Amino acid sequence: MAQIGTFPDHPALKGIAPPRGRLAGLRSIEGSRAFPALLLAPIMIFFLVWNVVPLVWLLGVSFYKYKVTSSREPAYVGFDNFTDLWRSSEIWGLIGRTLTFMVTSVGLATLLGVLLGLLFWGSGKMPGRRLALTLLFTPMVLPPIAVGTFYRLIYEPSFGVVNHFTQAVIGRRFDFLGDKNLAFGATIAVDVWMWTPFMILMTLAALGSVPKAELEAAEVDRLPWLKRLWYIVLPHGKFILMLGILLRTIDAFKTTDLPYLMTNGGPGNLTEFVGLSLYRTGFEAFQMGDASALAVVTLLVAIAFTSIYLYVLNYRETRAQLT
Amino acid sequence: MSSTEMLRSRASRRWLLKAAAGAGVAVSGLNFGPGYSRRLRASAQGDSPLAGQTIDMTILGIAGWPPSRLGVDMATELFKPYAQENYGYDVNFAFEEAPFESLFQKAATSLQSGSAQYNIIISDSQWLGALAEPGWIVQLNDIIAENPDLDIKFTDTAQQAYRVYPDGSDQLWGFPQEGDTIALFVRQDLFSDQAERDAYMAAHDGEDLPQTFEEWEEVDIDRYERIISFFTRPDENLYGTALQWSKVYDFVSCYSYPFMWSNGGEAWDAATGQVEGILDTEVNATGLARSKKFLDYAPPGATNYGIAEEVDVFTSGTIATCLQWSALGPQMRNQNAEGGVADEARPVSPDDVLIVAPPGFRQADDSLNRVYTLGGQPWVLNAFNDEAHLQVAIDYMKFWYLPETQLEFSRRGGNTAVEAVLNDPAYEDLQPHFRSYKYMITRSRDFWHDPNYAEMLAAQQEAWGAYMTDVIDDPMLALQYTACQQQGILYDAERSEIEPSEACADISI
Repeated sequence: MAQIGTFPDHPALKGIAPPRGRLAGLRSIEGSRAFPALLLAPIMIFFLVWNVVPLVWLLGVSFYKYKVTSSREPAYVGFDNFTDLWRSSEIWGLIGRTLTFMVTSVGLATLLGVLLGLLFWGSGKMPGRRLALTLLFTPMVLPPIAVGTFYRLIYEPSFGVVNHFTQAVIGRRFDFLGDKNLAFGATIAVDVWMWTPFMILMTLAALGSVPKAELEAAEVDRLPWLKRLWYIVLPHGKFILMLGILLRTIDAFKTTDLPYLMTNGGPGNLTEFVGLSLYRTGFEAFQMGDASALAVVTLLVAIAFTSIYLYVLNYRETRAQLT
Repeated sequence: MSSTEMLRSRASRRWLLKAAAGAGVAVSGLNFGPGYSRRLRASAQGDSPLAGQTIDMTILGIAGWPPSRLGVDMATELFKPYAQENYGYDVNFAFEEAPFESLFQKAATSLQSGSAQYNIIISDSQWLGALAEPGWIVQLNDIIAENPDLDIKFTDTAQQAYRVYPDGSDQLWGFPQEGDTIALFVRQDLFSDQAERDAYMAAHDGEDLPQTFEEWEEVDIDRYERIISFFTRPDENLYGTALQWSKVYDFVSCYSYPFMWSNGGEAWDAATGQVEGILDTEVNATGLARSKKFLDYAPPGATNYGIAEEVDVFTSGTIATCLQWSALGPQMRNQNAEGGVADEARPVSPDDVLIVAPPGFRQADDSLNRVYTLGGQPWVLNAFNDEAHLQVAIDYMKFWYLPETQLEFSRRGGNTAVEAVLNDPAYEDLQPHFRSYKYMITRSRDFWHDPNYAEMLAAQQEAWGAYMTDVIDDPMLALQYTACQQQGILYDAERSEIEPSEACADISI
């Protein structure tokens, strides 16, 4: 029997002349070994030019003492930039603050995202559900520069809307972004507000990946809600959910725009995270060697997070294989 | 004829008085009509090699900063027709801008690539070293030698701050675009209110509120504190003062230095690059603490105050006085270009505001000393300009310093740094903030022009900002941290042979 794709014998193509010229040439290319490479070439060139070359360049610069505003030529200093980072007391504070921000922000956004995701999952017939979802996703699609500016005004002690309420309710105004006890929390709150929708989205995607048959079986078996979640939903949805957490973790570790706009890293350096410090070193102090070294460290941390997540994700399978 | 003589002859006192009188009747009284070009024609340099060409120029300046905007507006409105008539070429100006804190970044990233994207840059004075060292801007000595029109006598402060790098050398890199000093803006409607005066006198053993520039000239920092304390009434949403305490850019530094310098403190030794032992002194720690003390008389959230926030709280009637850059005179008075009220919704109108010298600091011999921070920016010329663009930039500089142009700049609110214009007796009547500006220009100073300015500033802003926001309690710790960091920066960059002391290893914030 003729197969679709075997051009000359297909009944639907009777009477049509076989390919000649350019089409025949394409067919021969399609069959060649180079064809897959040819298809991949554009993206590989793009990847090479925009990812690999800058990365190698970054790695190279991290071994140089190079200040853009100096008349001196860049000087090779080996691992000095890295050892300086290691010895610096500030870097540990910086990483500590960043990790605290990251864990708290991602943790809260995940918790809220999963809870709200489950709520929306179970409210399929709720009127206005789509509108509610659309509105809920708005913070995620707003540019961080707008969010940072809005919240700077929203938190403003004299005329900010938050202080309008605190004044009305408890008779006090707070300098949310200037107070050493409040600024960190205020920044986290905005990050959580902004990114909880992303975790809702991931939760809904994770829940959507659970086979309906298994859920119906659980329904028939009258499996308790928690067990249903643990034995059916989580095994199927964990990959998507963990992917969401991984993306958020890496993103939170690099957070730069929000603290830059809202607090400029202050009060003091209480909201200065790795991303902001990197920006300052590179584009305010123009110490490209130091900035590159810090960027390499940040990259390694991001790779480490990815590895940890992948390990956790595959832990059960790995353990099963080992035993 | 020297440039000074030339300026003096052109900007004769009679001419200035006439122009100033016009400006006094109506701010727009100075008319740049058809006669204007004729008057200036004589100063043009004959046939230009660019005649018949169209040149597109881009000026990079400070976003939201009126003097920067004036530099561009006047280029389009006045220089364009002037160039057409006198040089025979057509020139178009575009304005690129960035806020104070990111202007250098915008300029540097472009200049680093050898780009002539920004033909003329309005830089901050402290960046001269960072722009000059890598060869990004034109050294002006030869250009000035070839163009005597540009050999202009500026005030000594402006000469050193906006032009010279390295400090004390004869190398010139910039032209003063605008000079600036800190001024005290006073809500005169409150201060002249008889009930307020009576209440103040009753509370302070008959001491009255100062009413005139001369009376403010005698106000020391202690009396000023009494005054702002009197006007601090949170229940009425009224506060005594505002300074810039924000850690953004150089805000907290500029407004804390006067509390140190006026009492004899220093920031560093520019010759040796020594910071430790000079910045971290008792006198500076006391000054920093005094600056912080004024937060008690400021509205909530004042640790985030920069330039714009001050304009807002002052014109919204929330504060009775404000230390602010003099260049913002019209904005602080809520005054539009015609001298009327700019924003009717705001309670403060131009007539409500008196602009005076900021408070002095009482010395051991009972005299008053004022050493405040200098503001203002120079023009610098991109070294990657081609000949045509460089020539237009030079022509524009020549035009900028014509007495008529300087007077028009002043009429629009810009602070001139040209000595001949500044010293004319009629000058102070052109704008309400000029008297204070002129008074303070000789009592103001700049800080580092070092290429490592950005790093030194970042360390200082972080530490001083941490102190202002109670992240650290000890002003001396803030200064020691700053001194150690700056000493390290200078030593690493081989700008100083002095290493940070061993004690620095234990100092962190």
